[in-house]
Parts: sequence; structure tokens; C-alpha cells
Amino acid sequence: MPTLESGDETSAERDQNSVHSQLRHMVEHAAHFLPAQGPIEVFVHHNTLHAFEKQEFHAAVQAGYARYRAEPYLSEQEFRRLYDVGRITDQDLEFAILDDLGEKRNDEINGLGTRAEIRFAMLRHAIQVGPDAELRWIVAETDALERFRNKTTQINRTRIISAAQKLLQGADCQENSIVDLSSLLTKLSANSTKWTDTERESFSLHLLWRVCLDGIGSFSGKKPNTTSFVRPRDLLLHATGEDIDRDVHDVLIRFCAAYVDQGYSDWILPNREQGFYESFLALYSVQVRGTDRWLRQLPAELKTLIDNNVTAEASIDNSLRELGIPSLQREEFITQSLLALGGWAGMIWQLESGVDWVVHSIAKGSLLGMLAVQLILEKCAVRNLGEQVFGNGSSINSILDSARQRIAEPKPLTIERRAFLLFQVAQMLGWTPLELLQLTETEWAELSDEVEGFSAMHRRRVFHEAYERQYRLAALDAFAEYSTRLRQADSTSDPQRPSFQIVTCIDDREESFRRHLEEVEPNCETFGAAGFFATAIYYRGAADGFYKPLCPGVMIPDHYVQEDVGYTFEGVHRERAELRRRLGLASRAFHTRSRTFLGGMITGIVGSLATAPLVARVLFPHLTARIRRRFGSLLQPPLATKLQLERYEKDPGPDNGHVGYSTDEMADVVLRLLQDMGLTKTEDFSRLFVVCGHGSSSLNNPHESAYCCGACAGKRGGPNARAFAQMANDWRVRAKVSALGIVIPDDTMFVGAYHNTCDDSVVFYDLDRLPASHREDFEAARESIEEARRRNAHERCRRFDSAPLSISPRDALRHVEARAQDISQARPEYNHATNALCLVGRRAWSRGLFLDRRAFLTSYDPSQDDDEHSILQRILAAAIPVCAGINLEYYFSCVDYTAYGSGSKLPHNIVSLLGVMEGTSSDLRTGLYQQMVEIHEPLRITFLIESTPSAMLAVMEHNTSIDQLVRGAWVHLAVIDPSTSQIEVFNGDGFHPYETSSTKLPQVDSSLECYQGSREHLPFFSIRDAKGAQ
Amino acid sequence: MTIESVLHLLGLIVVATPAVLLTALGLPFLMGIQLSETVQARLTKACVATGLLAAVAILGLMLLTGSRDVPIELGNWVSIEHDHEHFHFHLKFVFDRLSVPFVILSFVLCGTVGAFATVYLHREKGFGRFFLLYALFLLGMVVSSLAGTIETLFFGWELVGLSSALLVAYFHERPGPVRNGHRVWTTYRVADAAFLIAALTLHHLTGAGDFSGLMGSGAWPDGVAAIGSWQALAVGSLLLLAAAGKSGMVPFSGWLPRAMEGPTPSSAVFYGALSIHLGTYLLLRVSPLLDVSLPLRLAVIALGLVSAIFGTLASRVQSDVKNALAFASLAQVGIITIEIGLGLRYIALIHMIGHACLRTLQLLRAPSVLRDHQMLEDAVGQHLTGDEVNPPQPATNFQLWLYRLALQRGNLDAFLDDWIVYPFVKTFQLFDSLERRWTDLLSGGASRESDMLSPYSDTLEDMS
Repeated sequence: MPTLESGDETSAERDQNSVHSQLRHMVEHAAHFLPAQGPIEVFVHHNTLHAFEKQEFHAAVQAGYARYRAEPYLSEQEFRRLYDVGRITDQDLEFAILDDLGEKRNDEINGLGTRAEIRFAMLRHAIQVGPDAELRWIVAETDALERFRNKTTQINRTRIISAAQKLLQGADCQENSIVDLSSLLTKLSANSTKWTDTERESFSLHLLWRVCLDGIGSFSGKKPNTTSFVRPRDLLLHATGEDIDRDVHDVLIRFCAAYVDQGYSDWILPNREQGFYESFLALYSVQVRGTDRWLRQLPAELKTLIDNNVTAEASIDNSLRELGIPSLQREEFITQSLLALGGWAGMIWQLESGVDWVVHSIAKGSLLGMLAVQLILEKCAVRNLGEQVFGNGSSINSILDSARQRIAEPKPLTIERRAFLLFQVAQMLGWTPLELLQLTETEWAELSDEVEGFSAMHRRRVFHEAYERQYRLAALDAFAEYSTRLRQADSTSDPQRPSFQIVTCIDDREESFRRHLEEVEPNCETFGAAGFFATAIYYRGAADGFYKPLCPGVMIPDHYVQEDVGYTFEGVHRERAELRRRLGLASRAFHTRSRTFLGGMITGIVGSLATAPLVARVLFPHLTARIRRRFGSLLQPPLATKLQLERYEKDPGPDNGHVGYSTDEMADVVLRLLQDMGLTKTEDFSRLFVVCGHGSSSLNNPHESAYCCGACAGKRGGPNARAFAQMANDWRVRAKVSALGIVIPDDTMFVGAYHNTCDDSVVFYDLDRLPASHREDFEAARESIEEARRRNAHERCRRFDSAPLSISPRDALRHVEARAQDISQARPEYNHATNALCLVGRRAWSRGLFLDRRAFLTSYDPSQDDDEHSILQRILAAAIPVCAGINLEYYFSCVDYTAYGSGSKLPHNIVSLLGVMEGTSSDLRTGLYQQMVEIHEPLRITFLIESTPSAMLAVMEHNTSIDQLVRGAWVHLAVIDPSTSQIEVFNGDGFHPYETSSTKLPQVDSSLECYQGSREHLPFFSIRDAKGAQ
Repeated sequence: MTIESVLHLLGLIVVATPAVLLTALGLPFLMGIQLSETVQARLTKACVATGLLAAVAILGLMLLTGSRDVPIELGNWVSIEHDHEHFHFHLKFVFDRLSVPFVILSFVLCGTVGAFATVYLHREKGFGRFFLLYALFLLGMVVSSLAGTIETLFFGWELVGLSSALLVAYFHERPGPVRNGHRVWTTYRVADAAFLIAALTLHHLTGAGDFSGLMGSGAWPDGVAAIGSWQALAVGSLLLLAAAGKSGMVPFSGWLPRAMEGPTPSSAVFYGALSIHLGTYLLLRVSPLLDVSLPLRLAVIALGLVSAIFGTLASRVQSDVKNALAFASLAQVGIITIEIGLGLRYIALIHMIGHACLRTLQLLRAPSVLRDHQMLEDAVGQHLTGDEVNPPQPATNFQLWLYRLALQRGNLDAFLDDWIVYPFVKTFQLFDSLERRWTDLLSGGASRESDMLSPYSDTLEDMS
């Protein structure tokens, strides 16, 4: 019956299709767990655990541990060190425990103490729980059973010893003692009355140990759950010690790199446009003599796949079957498999799904193809290993079976481990053998569960809370105290017009710059706003080849802005551009040819000339940089340039006439930034307003983009500042802005500037346009800025080990300049390291506080906001996710720089012009590297916002991403009312008033006094107002 | 003071400075004293600068006086006299037109890289370890470049090998670098074995390991080999094998990319610049041998040619900087070998020095390629590569084959695995099973407890 047959076929086909679409879904789902970092050229800080953001922070980091084997917090050892040096105090620990336990804190455990007491003891004293081998070693080889632990108090020692003595005397009378004392006594001299103190101590401890051991042995504890392996690779690794990933990855990494290459290698991978799977099949089905042993069957296998037109999905399906993955475990298996080479898989996913601006795009479905290829290779590797180890290379199933048989069930020392834990806690809390002997079986179980229940992970969690609490409380106290002082000191002096005003990015690195500026010129005013200054543009400089976006990563700009050289210099510009082009082509030829046969011969022979730049750049970086600048200036576009900012055609676009903004749009931009800063009243404007973007420059640094302005997509924000200043100076724009409600005085001039946070240089734009009337204002402001940047460099130098603490401000500036020019420098600057705070509000209540470069500062004036809090909404919509992203990326890269971060920078190796590997064959490394985070304190950021609880709740209700971050405790949130110094803290369900715990806020005369002579993290200080002293 | 004694003194300084550096860095380590980074850096700087100045002074004096060959004898360190057989470990250094430029090159590059590493490895846990190995390497380089006897050369050669392998495995907390270091080390052993046999053969043929005995009396490069053509072929082939292993030529090229696992400065100086040229330096040193044996000469040219072509091919498909540079270096080493084979000794020397400097600069600047690429594109004003610039083209089967061969690095590792590693392991496994049979028989049961142990049985910390 033909109809039935065809019906069967279609249903089988439908089944297959549904399986295939299921597989695609699984891969897409697994892709969410992959690192979300795109090409390194544009480094955007983001929450490393973004995939888990829906969960609460602590749950998420533990899920992250389960998923990535990455540390959730600092190690217990590190926490304990911090405890020893006083960074975490007893008080912090106590509060953290009570907070953690809630209602259950006072439960008595078998009359031996409350739960909180037991936990406190376990936190205060190091607990040794290592692998079984270590435990065995401790018991057998150390004096753990001979001597009390170092920190056991005298009282507890006496208690335990005397109880043991009592027990011994009692045992003499009655023979039926529970513990077998006789075997113990044979170890020591028989006559117990003649014992020395040490012998008594040793006896007591041995006794205690036996009691614990017997007690734990008296009940049957939980069976240790047997581990099951989802990936055959893990099974084989445990059974044979051989890692098949090593071989598989070797091939896969090389192929991935060639597949996503953005133009480094001279030969492009053949058929790359057809997709990962297809090009792999085409390339590896070619027979090449002498391939690696384990790959010899591969060409034939791939040939059959090609001949039968097997798709990637079908191939995955086949492989899953062959590897014996049960259908329920498929998703988990796929996730784990992709994560095994997560960096590459993540990059492929980014390129196929999100990043569309790379020059070599890749086909959709590449990740699926990669998985298919990976599984094919895994099968080959499993067969090969089976052949080697079990002498059986035919069926994967039978190989895995043999491996399962071979795997020895580990017999963990469960009882000993638990007993040793109790033994340690008993010493800390002075539990005597007598007391313990009274316990029944169930009580033993309860006690053991109690102690076990406070696992290492749990302890670290409490430690972490205590660690954060210390800093957070100090910060809140400081702000409460400082605003109180400000209120009391408020002598209503007549408001003076500020000498100049400056707005910088909210970046934490600008905190010190602003602080120093305010100290140098007490009569100036500083503001903080997201560093693209409401000017989201595609920008092309005079010497640039292409437009590049300068705005936060989440935005897509509408407008294009271009830098032009003026009419006068056009000829020069053209000549130089041509020269640059020729030199560019020549140097490209030199570098690529130097890797070829003949070209290399010639370059090799003249290569001795390379000694000069080599030696010069390494030994004399500063001088070399000067010489390079001198000659470079002959190549760069002429100094006088202008921005093409105004659009003549209707629609914005990159071509002539379409570049720029209309005056209406400019007015919107200007209005928005002024509103954000709360600068809306005519009398508040000074004569000079500096708009200062920022960026960073360093040499030999693939991660350079991570150091630049996050609000400018990891680029330098100078052009945004320049564009904004030019807009705000335009009288037509001002007219439109004043029609919208903000009247900028006629004598206010805006100047764009750019602050390089690495070498602390500040350059200004378009000074030629500054009217002569403002020359003096500008010179004065510039002098203050010069001094401020010197001081800023000096403050930064305290963190650099290679700069002496006694360095002078002038030398400090030279030091940071040298860092930026040194090709051997792995730490050009410390970037956002140590960030821990974000303030949103008027500068008045934080001005004069020493925040140690740890705070993002955003300007916002609640008094000018409307009832819907629309200004706060739009400020926070950017500030909270961005600052939290930076903070969390630092957090994770710091707690585990190998799993979450990109390891050490030293072996980094740029691959495919997209990212870095460690060495020449590793996973693509994402996240921040060790040298970048080494001084960081992994604390969740605390937002302190000048607002009301109700306003904040309204903002959270409107913005789900903020709500998620705050309610999930990914960030801490508090609001402050400076007029009453009342702080309210969000704690999960709502805001609660914060009670200031201390009023210690040392007062000093300058920032220098705060940081001089110290390389450590510093407390808060208030700096005496120089204006008041005048 | 005569010129001779001045030269002698300077020569001693050149050899002694690296040894002093090694002692100064190594002894405190042994005694458990931690030197600060600054002290280590200063010591390194002082020693390298002194050595360099002394070497330059020697060059100056030699140019002034026109002397072309300055030997420095340190006597016999081991001397075994027997009726028929005798052995001297004769420590002798030679300053001539070959060794002086090479030793100056070593000092310049090591000095630069040392200065680079001082900053680059700042605050690194292994700072002291790195500089200790660096001193070891420097000593090895100086000794082998100045060696006047084959034993001395072997001594320096071993130091270079040891320090290289340990530096490849510098990041010993990761398994990859350790495995690769191990691979480098084993490959070197093969080369060393060839070298050692060559040295023994030489002893048999000439009665001493002195190069002047081998090469006759003329100063480099005018020496005339004092042995016959067949003997030259025998010794020469062994030395060629040794050189191929040390310089990563075919079929030993597999270790080159693996050696890039260490920190950037060490890859730069060791594999890009100095270590990789040590093989060709050896060939240059014994180049008079080539004059007396045409087959040897042809073998040298053939090996160079194959390596150069292979290096070029492999370099073209690498997508990462360090691999590409490693294979590019190999291509040049191949060409230098060809030059040696053709008898162009001065050109080979100039080429070697130029290539070493260029490659060091390129490797040290390797992290800049992304930025360089962007700057180039900006300067040229268009994308240099991309889907538009290089539209997809269908690939022929030959192209696929070539690409695959290059991507798999000529399957050289697989070749070595098949023909050396595999038979080796199999043989020893055979012995192992024989031995086990005996022990089982003797003990009347399973005799090895270790068979019962499974790997990874221990659980780590409780983390639930």
C-alpha cells in the first residue's frame, strides 16, 4: 500500500525534523552559558555571570561554580588572611552570621552551644578539611592529636584535660568503659599519675579524637553520592587518566582560529563561507599521508557524511547516539561539550548571532557545526584511546563499558573526615570527652549535621558578606557623618560665580582628578555624566579609515560626525594622507613578507637594522616616544582641524551632506546633558565650561579597549566632548535650548577636552575659536587642570610598586607617561580596579570626601526632576547596568582569574585578530587578566542615590534590568537625603532606615595627607574646604 | 701588559660574567634567600653590560691588531690517561670572526630581553625562577658560541637546552606548558645523542675534541678539515642531525610552536632569536667539513631547502602571531642552512644576526599586531582583508591538500610519534610486561600495587 508507506516516511521525517530542531534549541540554549565577550577590539565590561542574572547573587555564583568550576568567592584562606590583618573584624563576622541565620540563630545544639556560637567558632579558626590523603597525613604525621590547636583558649584546654583525667579515673574503677582506654594507655607510659603536662595533653586529645570517631561511627551517615559522568571524556579521564580533549582541542582550536580569522593569516580557510561544518568536512576529507594516528579514520568517515548529505544536526544526532548519551542528558551533554572549549564556542556564537561589524563574517549555524565537528573528533579520540588502553577500538559503547568497569569506586574517609571536623570544633568550643560521651546516636547525627552543614562554601559566603559589610558600613557612615557636618558648617555665604565648570565621565578614575581639581581651585565646580555626553555618534577622524561608534554598547547611533582639515591645510593633508598610505602599504609588505621565503631573506639580511628600534624601545621608551612623536607629527593630519557637525540634508548618513546633526537635534543633545547634570539655571553657569572626555593609550596591549571609555564603546571619548562643546557654543542651538527652558548666559563658553587616564595628559580642542574675552579664564582653568593632573598622577603612583612612595608630583607624571610608552609594561594603569561605590546626586554632599578612586560619580539634582523621576530614570538606566557590569566583571575575574578571567597576561598571544590565547594552543581567553585585577577588592558595588525610597522603587518598577540587579542582590542600593543625612538601605523587600554606627571621619587638609606613604586601600577622610579657609 | 694578556683577561671576563650572574642569582635561591626584583634586575644588567663591553673591546682589539684567532685555554678539567685510550675534557674558548659577532649578538639580545622582562614580569611569582633560567641560558649561549672544543660546545649546548625546556614549562600550573616543555626536552635529547656520538667519533678520529684539530690550523672560515671525506660525512651527518633538532628543522619542527608557551620575552629570545640559530651556528663552526664532502654539503642544502619551504607554508596558514612568527623563523633558518651549504659563510652569519634581531623585535611587539593592523587600515583608508576584499573562491583539491598539510604542520609530530616515540614506547612496554611476568611468577600473584590505583580517586574540598 503506497499511501501508507509514504505516510510512514513523512512521519519519520517529521520525527527527525523535530529532533533536529530540538538539537538546534539545545545548542542555542547552551550558547547562553558561553562567554559573551565579542572581538577584543571593542571590549565592553559586562556581568560575567549574565546567564544567571535572573537568580539571586549567592545562588548564581554557586550555580556558576557548578557550571564552570569557577570560584564563587575569594578562597577561605584569603578571607582568613583578611581576618588576621583586621580587614574583617569579629563584629562583621557576628553580624554576617546572625544575618545569615535569621530566626535559627539561637537554637541550642544538644546543650553544647547555640548554632551561632558554633558557626562563629568555625569561622574564626581555620578548619582543615582537605582531600583524604591530606587528612590521613594530618592525623598520622602532624601533632594534631598531640597538641591543642594554636588558638585553643586556656580555659578550653583545662576543661578538656581535666575532663579526660576524670574519665581516666572513672575508668579505673569500672572496666566497662565505652572507649577502649587500654589501647590508648599503652601508647603512653602506664602510670598516669606520673604524666607530664604534655603527656596529659596528648592523652586528652587522643581521647577526644576517639570519642569523636566512635560517635560519628555510631550512626550511619549519608552515603556519598556516586559521581556520574555526562561526557565520555570525563569518564575516560577518571578511568585511564588520559584526556581526549587534549587531542580533540588541538585540532579544533587550530580550525576555529582559521575559521574566524579576521585577516591575520595569509591564506584564507577554503570554503569558510559555507559554514563551519561544511568547510571542515571539505578540508578534512582530503587524504593526507602521515596524519596523526587517531585521525586516520577521519577522512573516510567524513567522506561518507558528504556522500550521504548528512547535515550538521543529523551528524550531532548520530554522534549522540553513538556516544550513548541518553536523551534526557542531551542538553546537559551539549552544554558541557560546548563549555569545554567555551571561549572559542562563545566567539563563534557572538560572530554568528550578534557582532555584525567584523570584516570576515561567518555563516549562521556555525556553532552547531562546531559541535558536530567536535563530536566527530571525540568519537575518533575515544576509539583511539580504547584501542590503546583496552585493545578494543571498534565500538564506543564497549569502550565506555570497559572504562566504567575499570573505574574504582573511591572509598572516601567519610567517618574520619566528619570526626576530624568535630574534633577541631570541639577544641575551639571546649567540648569535653565527658560531654560528648553523653550524646545519643541521634544527637551525634544532629551535631555532625550541624557542623557539616556549615560547609566550606557556606563559610565563604558568610565571610564574603562580612567582608563587604565592613566597607559598605564605613562608606555609609562616612556619608551620613559628612553631610551632617556640612549642614552644621553651612554658613550661608553669598554664592559666588564658579571660576569654571568641568564635566567628566562618571568613571571612577575621574574621581581623584575631580577631587584634586577642586582642591587646586576651590572655586570651580565639577560634574559627572556618562562619557559620551549625550552625543551618540559614528565618528571618523581625519586620519581614520572608517566610522566607528562612540556611544555605549547598547545604543546604535543615528548620526555621523567627521573630522575635517580646514581649507588652508587641505593640500598638506592630502599629501600626508598619501604618504601615510604609501608607508602603510610598505610596512604591511615588510611585515607580511618578512614571514615569507624570499621576502624573509631580504628582511632577514637587513634585519640588523631592527636592533636600533628594538634596543631603543625597550631601554629608552621615553626618548623613543619623543622621537616617534616628532617624526609622527610630519605624518599626522595638520593640527588645525574641525568637526563636520552640521547636517544639510534631511537624513543622517555617512556621506557628504548627511554627516552631522540638525540644529534641533543639537538642541536636544545639549538640553539633555544639562538636565542630567542639573545645570539649568542661568545664574549657575560659569564663564567657562570644560567638557572632558577620556580614554587611555598604552603600547603592546591587546586589551587596550578595556581601558578606554566604557560609555564610548571602549574607545576614546574626546570627539564626543568636542562635538558637545561645539553644539553648546552655537548661538542657534542656544536659542532653541532657551526656548526649551534653559537659558545659557551669553558669556559662557564651552571647551572640549580629552583626559588620557593612563599618562594623565589633558588636551583641549578648538581653542582657536575661543574668544579673546575668555582667554584669561581659560589660562587660569588650564593652570588648575595642569596642577590637578600632576597631583592625580602622584596619587595613582602610590599603587604602582615600581614607583617609589617618595616620588614627587613632577616625577610621578613622568612615571605614568613612561608607563604608557613602554612596550614591556603589563600594567599601563590599574583601570577600574578597586571600584566599589557609585554615587548619584549633587556633588555638594560628596565634595571634599576622599573616596580613594573607588567611586563612580554621577551628577543628578533631584530638586529639578519631575514627578515621574524621568531624569533619574534615564540616568540610572545607563548608570546602574554599566557600573554593575564593570564591577561584576572585576569581581569575577578577581575571585577566579583562570576560570572567569583570562589568566596571566604574560603568555597572551593574539589570535585571529579577535582575542587572545594563552600560549599557542589554548581556549580563547575572555574576561580580565590577572595583572589588571591584582589590587582589586572583590566587593559588590554599592549605589548611593540622592533620592527617596519611593522614587527608587518606582524606577525599579519601570526598569526590569535594574530591578533584577537590585533584588537579586547583585548590587547594593541605598538612598540618601543630604538635608537630613538620613540613609535608607534596600535589603531585598524594601528600604529600611540605616543607623549610623560610628562617627569617626578623620579630617585632613589635603588628599595628599590621606594617601601619602601607603599602597593599601584607604579609609574615608574629609578634606578641609580650602574655600572656607580663604 | 701585552695585548695578548689584555685579550686573555677580556676573554675571561666575557666567559665569567654569565657564570657570575648564574651564581649570584642561584646561590641565594639555594640558601633560601629571596632577592628582591630590583637586586636581581641590577645584577643582570651589570653582568650583561660588563660581558658586552668586554666582548666589544675584544672585537676592537682584534680589529686593531688584525689577529683573527684568539684562543683562551682553561686547561684540562678532566683527564683520563690510559695506555690505549685517553680522554681530556679540555676547556678552551676561541675568539674569532664567527664567535665574536655571535657572542656580541647574544649579549645584546639577552640584555634587551632582560630589560624587557624586568618590567614585564614585575610582581610575577616566578620572577626569580625566570631570571635564574635566563642566566643559565646566557651562560649556555656564551659558552657554546665561544667553544673551542667540541666538549665545551656540548656543555653550553646542554645548558641552553635545559634552560629552554624549563622556560617552555614556565607556567607549570597548567598542564599544557609542562607537556610541551617535556616534548621540547625529549626532542633535544635526540639531537644531543647525535651530538654526543659525533663528539665521540671526532675523538676517535682526531684524538681530541679540539676544533683546531678537526679544522686544521686556519682561522675561521679558512680552516681546512684534517679528516677524510667519508669521516667528514659520518661526523657531519651526526652534527647535521643535532643541528636539525636544535634549530627545529624538518622533521623536528614540531617543538617550535610548542615552545611558544612561555612568557613572551623568553619565546622571543630563545626560539625566535638565539636558541633556534644555535644549530646553524654549529654548522658554521664545522663548515670546513662541508668542503671535503660533497654528499654532506648536498644533505645540508636539502635539509635547509625542505625546512625553508615547510616553514613558509606553515607560517602562511597560522592565525595567531606567535605560531606564525615561529614558522617564519624556521623558514629563515632553512635559508641560512642553504647558505651554509652553498659555502656563503659570511652571508649566513650576517643573515643569522639580522634575522635574530628582527625576530626578537617582532616577537616582543607581538601583542601590538591588532593595533598595527588598525593603524595600517587607517593609513591605507580601506580594509586590507575581508569578505569584500577577498571574495570566496572555490578551492581545488590541491589547494585543500596543501592547506591541510600546512595546517597540520606537515604531520611532523605524527611522523616522529610513529617512527620514534611509538617503537620506543612499545619496546619498553614489552620489557615491562616481561618483567611483570617474572615478578608475578616470583610473588605468586599480582605483584604491583600501583596497578590497582585509579587516577583521580581523591575528592577535593567539600564545596556543596
